[in-house]
Amino acid sequence: MVLTDAEAHRPGAIATKGRRGVIPARKPLYFAALPHPGTGHRSMSVESGQPAQTFQDLILRLQQFWAERGCVILQPYDKEMGAGTFHPATFLRAVGPEPWSAAYVQPSRRPTDGRYGDNPFRLQHYYQYQVAIKPSPEDIQEMYLDSLAAIGIDSRVHDIRFVEDNWESPTLGAWGIGWEVWLNGMEITQFTYFQQVGGLECRPVTGEITYGLERLAMYLQNVASIFDIVWTDGPLGRISYGDVYHQNEVEQSKYNFELADTDGLFKAFDHAENQCERLIADGLALPAYERMLEASHLFNLLDARQAISVSERQRFILRVRSMARAIAETYYQAREALGFPMVESVGLARQSAQKSAQKSTKKPAKESTRTSA
Amino acid sequence: MSSADLLVEIGTEELPPKALAGLMAAFTEGLRGAIDAANLSHGEIRQYASPRRLTAIVEDLEHEQADRAVTRRGPPTTVAFDGDGKPLPAATAFASKCGVTVDELGRERTDKGEWLCFETVDRGRPAAELIPAFVEQALAGLPIPKPMRWGDGDGEFVRPVHWVVLLHGEQVVDAAVLGVAAGRVTRGHRFLGRARIELRHPGEYLDKLETEGRVIADPVRRRRMICEGVEAAAAEAGGVVVEGESLYDEVAALVEWPVPMLGSFDPRYLKLPREAVISTLTGHQRYFPIADADGTLKPLFVTVANIESLDPAVVRDGNERVIRPRLADAEFFWETDRKRSLASRLDQLKDVVYQRGLGSLRDKSARTAVIAAAISAALELGRDAERAAMLCKCDLLTGMVGEFPELQGTMGGYYARADGESDAVAAAIGEHYRPGFAGDALPATDDGRVLALADRLDTLAGAFALGKKPSGNRDPFGLRRAALGIVRILVECGLDLDLKTALATAVAEQPVGGADADRIAEALYDYVTDRLRHYFLEREPGLDTETFDAVMARAPASLVDFEQRLEAVQAFIGLDEAQSLAAANKRIANILRQAGSDGATEVHEVRPELFDDEAEKALHEALSKAADTVRPMLAERRYTDTLRALAALREPVDRFFDDVMVMADDAGLRANRLALLAALRARFLDVADISRLSIA
Repeated sequence: MVLTDAEAHRPGAIATKGRRGVIPARKPLYFAALPHPGTGHRSMSVESGQPAQTFQDLILRLQQFWAERGCVILQPYDKEMGAGTFHPATFLRAVGPEPWSAAYVQPSRRPTDGRYGDNPFRLQHYYQYQVAIKPSPEDIQEMYLDSLAAIGIDSRVHDIRFVEDNWESPTLGAWGIGWEVWLNGMEITQFTYFQQVGGLECRPVTGEITYGLERLAMYLQNVASIFDIVWTDGPLGRISYGDVYHQNEVEQSKYNFELADTDGLFKAFDHAENQCERLIADGLALPAYERMLEASHLFNLLDARQAISVSERQRFILRVRSMARAIAETYYQAREALGFPMVESVGLARQSAQKSAQKSTKKPAKESTRTSA
Repeated sequence: MSSADLLVEIGTEELPPKALAGLMAAFTEGLRGAIDAANLSHGEIRQYASPRRLTAIVEDLEHEQADRAVTRRGPPTTVAFDGDGKPLPAATAFASKCGVTVDELGRERTDKGEWLCFETVDRGRPAAELIPAFVEQALAGLPIPKPMRWGDGDGEFVRPVHWVVLLHGEQVVDAAVLGVAAGRVTRGHRFLGRARIELRHPGEYLDKLETEGRVIADPVRRRRMICEGVEAAAAEAGGVVVEGESLYDEVAALVEWPVPMLGSFDPRYLKLPREAVISTLTGHQRYFPIADADGTLKPLFVTVANIESLDPAVVRDGNERVIRPRLADAEFFWETDRKRSLASRLDQLKDVVYQRGLGSLRDKSARTAVIAAAISAALELGRDAERAAMLCKCDLLTGMVGEFPELQGTMGGYYARADGESDAVAAAIGEHYRPGFAGDALPATDDGRVLALADRLDTLAGAFALGKKPSGNRDPFGLRRAALGIVRILVECGLDLDLKTALATAVAEQPVGGADADRIAEALYDYVTDRLRHYFLEREPGLDTETFDAVMARAPASLVDFEQRLEAVQAFIGLDEAQSLAAANKRIANILRQAGSDGATEVHEVRPELFDDEAEKALHEALSKAADTVRPMLAERRYTDTLRALAALREPVDRFFDDVMVMADDAGLRANRLALLAALRARFLDVADISRLSIA
């Protein structure tokens, strides 16, 4: 990688990228467990106000919450990716003028974060809960705080804070303004107003909320290790996160760090890039995007194998960036050719719904819901 | 004229903490500028800010601008009237513009001619009409680091705006800021306070926000509460706060209702390097570390919550849990980094491009080692600096420095010690980035000083060799800081290094710029001495820039020598003889220049047999005597003594100029007198060019 003089004296630029997955749009979350008083037992209670007691209960409550707010509840994208931001429902839908809203769980892979299942806080495969709404609603912060209440986090007990943490991904030609949300000092969510994606200005702006599900679950369940998270506890037995994923962590770490065939990975990267370019030439943004996702994950694997020297790294990042930019433009053109249909079909409907809501709801009423949150 | 306080509050989503103080100050100054430009009188402007608001209260703002008499000038009378004195269209047009007849217009006469004019009174406008523009102007002038857009709007601001309070006395000012209508309702703390707080007038702002809103809007008070609370919590635990000053401002910008609380962590992490523990606590989490009176860390910290929790134990416990994996990571880096020696990482530095055209960090290390060896040989100290130079960038490749960039160098020192390098090498690596900021400590060891100099000399020489001399206020490569570091180390540690030779060595090591080496080294000397000028002028308030110039004229190679000359000239200025001698030197410099001599050298030998006047004989004698006196002093760089001895020349010099005509008709006589003056001037120039002093 090329360092300027100034950067050479600020070595984070080297080693941070060396240790972390490079392509992922997000810093990895530190997983930390926080106890909750009086939660020694696990009931199956799902009433509002009670903390979500199982991993899947947590997910179900978030799904329910955002479904009620009107989001398209999508399923995970069936490709390896470093973060929920890479799901086309966020990255590509942030491009162009059409309104959009989606919520989904996205399995995220960071090969370099693997620890063979030995570290209670780190995984090479984990889950993010992602919400993307365009344009970002006026009360998106309050919606988010309401969602915390829905999973059982009482804002009168816990210290919840929005702490500046802007997001930038040179790889994706993307950046945004936002915060990490702290729960008693622990980062549980990243909150971003997208300003640019794939080199294109975001107009309107997409608001993105990314929950770290394992962290929240550890907190809500008062466990000290990710692997002790209760996934479900029902008539068919109690299953832990470790039961579901521990072996996967051990084996995938071995593959990522020791066994992945680097020659093959390099070739696959070239092939993915080559196909991506061809597909862009054909104006096919979505298949091209999947090739970029492949290239990006291959890069992360090569990184975990330490097969890319520091000086080559920058070149690889630039290769992915040029794919991302070309795809964003191609996608924009494709939507434009269709006449940006959702501007009318969704946007106008949303506007009239908002107008009637404003008429029927006086301001004080709206704010009283906030205080009760 | 009636007046009332004006309250302006912009309510937003959480603002960036490090920018908050600057935004608040700029907002106030912007308002002040706009109000003053509109000629509205006002009292003090108080400023407040919290994570969710920027506020200014303008005391006693007038309700209305004063009326102002104004004279509007129309066309010149030569154009306004024809030869018969009848008004032409220019006159009637002006009159109708003013709403009067031509007869009612006045005349204004100056030495340039005569004009039609209209005397009128501009009615002052009500403040309520002007205030929206004041606010708009103040907001437009904010130094927003990264303006953002949100929703489907085009407006840009620091963060989305949700409410605006604009109250002049009891009146709401009708305005909208970024699409938000102004009113009298502010908002309290997100979770503790009332969401809507109606304000009758600005006087209620602070109190109501505190009692009903649970928001301390005054950042100064908030900071003080935090400072006192954190220190009290530390004291209760039998300790003192470490590095509090660097955090208080930021933490004060992160909370509206500060609640300090004590937390603890596993004492086993105290085995880690102290700096690593401190960085872990202060860095991401903004916790305040606590130490014993003797500086030994305790396994405790203070955190500042933004809530009076229904169950404070939950908040404390949460904060304690968060720090655990972070400390575990630091421990992991400490353990794994030490499995490889720094020396074994040197090859890997080849992969890290230092700067295009200047090779890798491995290349930089090698150059630094050569420069360090040369400095060490010249100063006869710091023999381990060369070895330290080879290893000093290797810690950039360690996990710990990757996680905590601010520990660069510091960790290198720890790892060098663990590798079995000598104490001198380890200490040098550990302190070679010092001084890193204004007021920072200097390297304490000889090897550290030599290494710190060599590293900065290479940085400067490389940038200049690439033609990247900084211009204006932009300094992307930190060259100004590097040059100031060199100045401080040389002067404050009293290192009598030939800087010119050291710069030449550094330039010669660079892979580029070889053909221009001499010019580059000269430019570097100028650049460093320019920093030296700022350094001395800042350090010594009584120092004139002319005094500095007097020494600079000699361009001393050693900055220690430079300082000694500077002290001598300052002492000289205090002497009774100074003014007269400085003036004489100036006069001599002029005479010599006019006579075609450069003034700095003795063009001719003085020939005593040619003296014609008593005064010149006396001067020559005094000068010869003084020259003998100062020769050994100069050899010992006793510049103050030298100048004091030369001060004795005042009387013969004054007499010479009173009695002797330098530019005599006789060419031989003239040349001899010029030679005498040149010799006199040369004696002073041995120390400095005192003709440049402001007293001259």
